Amino acid sequence: MRRIDLESAVHEELRALPLPAAPPTLLPRVLAAVEAWARRPWYSRTWFTWPGVWQAVSIAAVAVAAAAAVVGTPWVLQSIEETTAVTAARILWRTLAAPLVPYLFAVVMLMCLACAAVGTALNRLAFGRT
Amino acid sequence: MSDAAFEAFVRRYQDLVYGTAVRLLGNPVDAEDVAQTVFLRAFQRFAQVGTSPAAPGWLKTVTRNECLNHLSRYRNRWQLFGDAPETALASADSPATQLEIDDRRRELAAALARLPDHQRVPLVLFHFDEMGYQEIAATLGVSLAKVKTDIFRAREALRRYLSEADAAH
Repeated sequence: MRRIDLESAVHEELRALPLPAAPPTLLPRVLAAVEAWARRPWYSRTWFTWPGVWQAVSIAAVAVAAAAAVVGTPWVLQSIEETTAVTAARILWRTLAAPLVPYLFAVVMLMCLACAAVGTALNRLAFGRT
Repeated sequence: MSDAAFEAFVRRYQDLVYGTAVRLLGNPVDAEDVAQTVFLRAFQRFAQVGTSPAAPGWLKTVTRNECLNHLSRYRNRWQLFGDAPETALASADSPATQLEIDDRRRELAAALARLPDHQRVPLVLFHFDEMGYQEIAATLGVSLAKVKTDIFRAREALRRYLSEADAAH
């Protein structure tokens, strides 16, 4: 059978199939699930279904937290700078860790490239994606 | 929103949602789970969806997405979109099975359900949802060539099955 004939023959057969009817158990299941969902307190549901007032309050709270972070961060950093522990850590970094940074960076880059190569090969060979 | 209105909504669209799901998943139990999830989402947006003329289209799209999520979540992707062994229709070759089934449409529906996922899903999207090859490839995240091959193999398997069924009757 030619490809186009096969396509139309199968299409005709499939389109003639009646839509499978839902089992009688579906409606009670759905209603029970909905009732259980409605009984849950509002804060345990997804944010989009929260009452409008609480959505507004949560947005305001996040905004206040973000503003506090922006305003407070310089002050916190300045306080840390003044401690002796930070000075000691800076010396250790310069003498021990800093010389290794270029090598570490090269190793990380090589690992990323290897992962990308393996991922691409896997996508093409196993999943048939391009 | 009244409970009665939502119940009427479920009654009206349950065949659409369940039918779409069972065709894509090939499994009544999984289809019922997906249908429940879809109606729960409809309930959460019932103010917008309940009386909308776009409700059937919305339900069908959500059902399709839920089915694809379900398949990729609960089954091995290597079997779903890989070249799984095509043993799915082997059971239909048994003479005992063919004698028990006397309705051609039921036979076809059963054969469709028995197709491997990676063949049945694109076939259903093509013939029932009227999606193009390119759109199916994008939806499933596979190559265009693979979609065409899988749909062709699925049609061949159904044709073989129907020929055998016709010969048996």
